This record gives sequence, C-alpha cells and structure tokens, in this order.
Amino acid sequence: MSTSLAAHPDRLPDALRPPSLTDGPVTLGQIDDQVLAFPARKPPLKWYLAFAFTGSLALFGLVSLGWTFFEGLGVWGNTNPVYWAFDIINFVFWVGIGHAGTLISAILFLFRKRWRNAVARFAEAMTIFAVICAVIFPLCHTGRPWLDFWLFPYPNERALWVNFRSPLLWDVFAVNTYFSVSALFWFIGLVPDIASMRDRTAPGLRKTIYTILSLGWRGAASHWQHYEKAYLLLAGLATGLVLSVHSVVSFDFATSLVPGWHMTIFPPYFVAGAIFAGFAMVVMVMVIVRETMNLQNLITMYHLDVMNKVILAMACIMGYSYFMEGFTAWYSQDEYLHWGFMNIISGTYGWAGMVTIACNIVIPQLLWFKWVRQNYAAMIFVSIGVTVGMWFERFVIIVISLHQDYLPSAWQVYKPTWVDFGILLGTFGIFFSLVLLFARVLPVIATSEVKAVLPASQPRPELHVHAPEPAHASAPALAEEVADA
Amino acid sequence: MRDPTFAVLGLFDSAQALVDAIPPVKSAGLGALEAYTPYPIHGIDPKLGFRRSPLGGMVFVMGVLGAVTALFFEWWMSAIDYPTLIGGKALFSWQAFVPVMFEVTVLFATFTAGLGMLMLLNKLPLFGHPMLAARSMTGITRDRFALGIEGDGERLLDVDACTAVLTAAGAVEVEVVPALVNPGWTATFATRSIFGIVVACLVSGVGMYWGIKLFHVLPPMVHMQEQPKLMPFEPSTFFADGRGMQPPAPGSVARGHLPYTFKALEDALSLPNPLPATDKVLARGKKEYGEHCTVCHGALGDGVTTLTAAYGAKPANFHTQTLREYTDGKLYHTIVVGKNAMPSYAVDLTEEERWSVVHYIRALQRAQNARPEDVP
Repeated sequence: MSTSLAAHPDRLPDALRPPSLTDGPVTLGQIDDQVLAFPARKPPLKWYLAFAFTGSLALFGLVSLGWTFFEGLGVWGNTNPVYWAFDIINFVFWVGIGHAGTLISAILFLFRKRWRNAVARFAEAMTIFAVICAVIFPLCHTGRPWLDFWLFPYPNERALWVNFRSPLLWDVFAVNTYFSVSALFWFIGLVPDIASMRDRTAPGLRKTIYTILSLGWRGAASHWQHYEKAYLLLAGLATGLVLSVHSVVSFDFATSLVPGWHMTIFPPYFVAGAIFAGFAMVVMVMVIVRETMNLQNLITMYHLDVMNKVILAMACIMGYSYFMEGFTAWYSQDEYLHWGFMNIISGTYGWAGMVTIACNIVIPQLLWFKWVRQNYAAMIFVSIGVTVGMWFERFVIIVISLHQDYLPSAWQVYKPTWVDFGILLGTFGIFFSLVLLFARVLPVIATSEVKAVLPASQPRPELHVHAPEPAHASAPALAEEVADA
Repeated sequence: MRDPTFAVLGLFDSAQALVDAIPPVKSAGLGALEAYTPYPIHGIDPKLGFRRSPLGGMVFVMGVLGAVTALFFEWWMSAIDYPTLIGGKALFSWQAFVPVMFEVTVLFATFTAGLGMLMLLNKLPLFGHPMLAARSMTGITRDRFALGIEGDGERLLDVDACTAVLTAAGAVEVEVVPALVNPGWTATFATRSIFGIVVACLVSGVGMYWGIKLFHVLPPMVHMQEQPKLMPFEPSTFFADGRGMQPPAPGSVARGHLPYTFKALEDALSLPNPLPATDKVLARGKKEYGEHCTVCHGALGDGVTTLTAAYGAKPANFHTQTLREYTDGKLYHTIVVGKNAMPSYAVDLTEEERWSVVHYIRALQRAQNARPEDVP
C-alpha cells in the first residue's frame, strides 16, 4: 500500500507531498551529462589555483611532520602533564568529521531518506579523507612511526602480544575497521558509476583505468539483486560501526580517572558531536561544489535545508550534553570534578571554553530560521562556527582537563609550537587536496542512486494496477509515506 | 557446437516498458532471461525468475565467525600465551574484549558482504564478458533498459524468433550480441606473463634487500643510535685526562673483592673458613664449582674429565690423602693464586664464592670417603 502512494505523490494533500529531489525535471541521461562530464574535461583555472593553495598547505604540514620525525617529538608543545594535546585533539576532530559521511551513507539509507542519494557519494569520500587525516596524528604520536606495525597483534620475535584491555588498542581496531569498511562501501557505490564513465570515455589511458576500476560491471539484473542486498547489509553494519567508533574514541578518556573525563555520557556525547562537526563540513563543501560545478538542480536548497536541520538537532544534543556535564559535576559532590568544570569557563583557558559554548550552542540556534538554513553566507557562517567550536571542544576536554587535575604541584600550562599548528594546517591541506582530486577524477554524485529515485524511474507497483483506489490508505501508512520522503 | 550468439537484446526506453515486456518474452520460452539496467529496478527479480540472494546468510555466518575468532585470540593471547595481570582484573576479562570483538565482527561481515557480493556471487572482476563488447552497453550504463534472451546451454538461440518476440513486446531496438571466441593461451600472452612475473620478483626482491639494508642507517631512524652520550672507555674532552670514564678514586675496593694480602702460602695455611656450612652456602658453592671447577676437576672432584685426556694435564684429585689433609686456608689460597697449570680465580669468584667452593670441596671429599655414621 505504501509503495503505491510513493509512486503517486500527487494524490497526497499539498502539505504532505514529498518535496522534489531535483529542481525541475531531469532525465536519466542529463544526470550523466552533468555529473560524469567533469572528469572528462580539463579543469578550469580556479581548480588549479585552489589545488595550488591546498597543496601548499599540505606541503607545509608534511614539512612539519618531517621536522618532527627528524628531531623527535620534542618539537611539539606536549609537556608534563599534557602529554596528549594537538595530536589527540586533531585525531578526535578529524575522525568526527568523517562520521557525517557514514551517517548519510548508512543510517539515512536505512531510514529510506531519499535525499541522501545526491550527497552520499561526496560525504563518503569526505569520510575516507578525514580518517586519513585523523590517523596521521596517533601514528606520529608514537614517536617512531616506522614501528607502528607493533600496534597490531602479530606473532613476533619478542613473544609479546598487545593489551586487549586498553582503550587505545580498541582505537586501533575501531579506526582500522572504520577506514577499511568506509573505503569498501565507497568503492562498491562507485562501481556502477565508474562503469558509466568507462562507457562514455573515448579509448585511451583514462578508459583503461575506468575499465579496470569498474571490474567489468555490466548492469545485469542478477548483479543488481546481490548488489542491493550487499548495500543494505553494509549500511546496517556500518551503522553499528559508526556508533562504535566514536564511542571507542571517547573510551580513551572515559575509562581514565581524570576529572572531566570519567563520565558515562561521553560515548553518546562524542557521537553526537562527531555528526555535528561532520555535517558542518559537508554543508560547507557541498555549497562550494554546488556552485563551482553547477549542480544546483541535483543538490537543491532542500538538501542543504535538511542538512542544516540535522546540524540544529545535533547542536541541541550538544547543549544538553554540556548541561549534563555541569549537572554531573554538581551532583557528584566531588570537589575535583566541580572545580574542574568551573575551570573550563574561568581558568587559564576560560576563553576556549567560552568559544566552545558560543560556537556550538549559541550560533547554531540561528538555524531555527528558514532563511538562515537557505542562505549561503549564513549557513557557511554557522558551519565555520561549528567547525571551530568543535575543535575547541576537544581542546577543552583534553588540555583543560589534563593541565590541572589533582596535584597542584603537577600543574603546567600547555603552549603549542609552530610544528603543532603546521601539522594541523597540513591536514586541512591534505583533506581539501584529496577532495579536489576526487572531484577531478571521479563522479561527485552517485548517478545510479540518483537515477533510481527520480520520478517514474521505477515501474508502477503491481498492487496499483489491480487495485487502483488509494482511498483506503490508512493514516499510519500515509504518515509513513511522508516520512519516506 | 558452440552457440555463436551470446544473447539477443531488446532495448527499452523506460523501466516500465522493460518490466511490461518480461511476461510475453518469458512465455515465448526461447532462452534464459536477463535484464541490463542503469540502476536497480525494484521488483524485477521474481519476474525474471531469480532466487533470493544468499548474501544475508553468508554475512551472518562470517560475522559469527569474526566474533568467535576475535574472542578466541583475545583469550589465548591475554590469558594463555602472554598472561599479564592488569589492574587486578581476571586474565580472561571478557568485558574488556567486547569492543575489539565487535570491530572484528563488523570487519568480517562487511568484507563478506562487499567482496562476497562482487567476487563470489557476481563473479567480478570479469573483463571478457560478451556484453561488455555489445554496442548497447553505452546506453545501458546511461539511460537504456535492455532485456536479453540468453542461451540456456541446451539449444542454439533462434535469433529471428527472439527478435520477433522482443519487437512485439515493444523493444525500440534489437541487438544480437555475439559470443566471444576465447583466444586461449597464446605464445605472446605466456611470454608476457612470465616476463611480468620475473620483473615483479626482481623489483620486489631488490627493493626489499636495499630497504632492509638501508632503513636503519637512514635518518631519522638512525637517530635512535646517534645519541649524545658516552659509551664505556670512549675518550672525552670533558676531563683533563681525556678519558670519558674516570678511574676509581685511589684505595677504592670493589664489592666482594677485598684485596688478598697473603703472598706466601705459609701465611694463608691457618685461615679459617668464615662461612658456616649451611645449605645455602653449599648450594652456592655447588653452583660456582659447577661453573668454574668441574671442567678440570670433574663433577666428583676426582680430576677425571673428558678434558684430562685431551689436554694432557693432571688436575688434582681431591680424594687423595694429600689433598684431604689440606687446610681450608690452603684450598682458598690455591683458588686465589692458582697452582701449576691452574690460573688464579680471584677475578671470577668473589671472596664469599671462594669460601663457598671450599665448603663444597669438603663436602665432595666427605662423600667419597664416607664413614658408616654419615649414612642417615
């Protein structure tokens, strides 16, 4: 019953009609011409300028990393008692950015949110690039990154095994699994699109590469059957995975005894914050992609509007989490915890606490207004605010909690060095360089997925042919229909 | 005979037209049906007669296997092979093993879903499929919908009949896709493959050799060895005498090595053994005797060892009357200064160890010349 309604939204009252996923009618072929044409064309000058800029940032980051390897970790600002600082802040920050991609590709797929199809590919790519940026930090924080394979449990000449009770080892497993699963998910989504690219590219090196990457995909119905099943299973598994990854990251803190870290709210709070920051980044990049690649009709204002609503919802969860942190501190009657909480807004780094609250809680409230959700300047302002705010939130959690905990004799103020900032800027450079390269060589929109949700792209359901009256659609079915959209 | 035709394709302009064409084409019964579409068409599988995808079961089995594998290895590594007590927790603290177990479960399950779908069920990658050479392929990955009548392996495809049925069902275009002729193993292909394998082996072998050889001597890896510190006996400009390691102050005595002042045997004869003959002392004496004395004097102290014949020397037999009458002091003195071919053991044994050995030699002598009352 519900499918018959989905095929005929025109029978719904206006207010309940699902919004169109494209601006104006689009044919199947037009999508290909619009999306798949980019990689075939020579990029415009502004692409080269942008790449030169992000590439220089990336290079600066690599120089900073090289200096770290050459001189040792002493060139970072880390000091007793703040042994974790920029490296773990940036790790948590970047892993969090990646979570929006998996949320869009997996969780929204399970909820049958059809608007996700247009933004899923880009968000998934951003997941992979963000995780690449994230892993740089813990891998280099080990001090001797060429020995990082010691992190894995493998039979070795030292007859040692890793400690499975350590949250840091859980991180190794969580992040590795997350990266491999995201990459696999992304690649599987790409296969039919690369096959389309293969078939529209003239013979040459490009065609050979696309041919190999398409694995010889031929769009057979028997293949699509398994493909769709695999996609559903991957979405279900990735949903559990994405929730586990940032929970495990939060265990690094929550299982310790540092006041301000030892709280049960940390896992859900971290996951919400990750999605929050990730969506802000997706909105920022999507606005740029939409304008520079002329995709206004496929990525509509409606898409940006719903993503901004997600940001708003997450901002409210963050507000609740901050409030609960304060409540826990007060209710625990623990003077260290109480003092630690007050230290966030009134201590040495009180300004960082203020920035966090302003950027994460106050500024996103602008999104209650529809014109803010649909205005480029306003939404980019909010997104940049959220990105900055979420970075400072991790700074607050890590540096403020560590620099003054129990023993005043061990207190020390932490100051980052130019190398710390260099590596942070460098990861932004690496991230955006990869984004630019991705937009240059691969389809930025999952064309086969968008084609599948266009109006009339699916055959009429059988039910409708034999029982054409949708009048006996029950109210719940109607509501379900609306939710579908 | 090989069927020269792989399939007859009817092309349609919409998913609806394709789905509508399936029943009449199917009832004609000219061959197996397969559709080729730019995106998945919902509800087409039962119409084409496909069975349900077995992927769900495969993923479940592999997921369970992942969980069991992870838990087994965590238990074996943490509780059996390398038991470490951490925070007073049980060696098999399964609660702490859950996060890794979960991640490994997801890893196994997702790779089964992804690669199982691509490789096992869809048999990809496959670049030699006849459909990839079809003219219609460009449209199929774009906006055309194809219904193919394919050979079922029993009879040859009736191309004319298929064309007629597809046209009647509303196909806007019909294409006959020829079967590909497999060229088999050619000499060129074999030569190229072997050449490729040899080059790959050479490159990886040489690369690995130099990688391992150079890795630890290149910066920054070598910085672990290049440390601003002095190794023993290295010169240094810090002290006036140019030595990095300063000699001990005059009159310093190393622990356990008090200077032995008796130059003449007569002075040492009457030295008493300062240690009591306790189990601990005898055990220590046995250990030191075993390490330093057995090689010549033998485990029983009779001076008969394999070395005796080869060396041509005659190490003392402790059980002779002469040696049994030696005083403790004389035995001690012999250990310190040596005798005949025997060198001094003053460097190898501390004062306490020497006296322990003397006790042990006394025990050996008594064991070889036991009196009835020694038997318990």
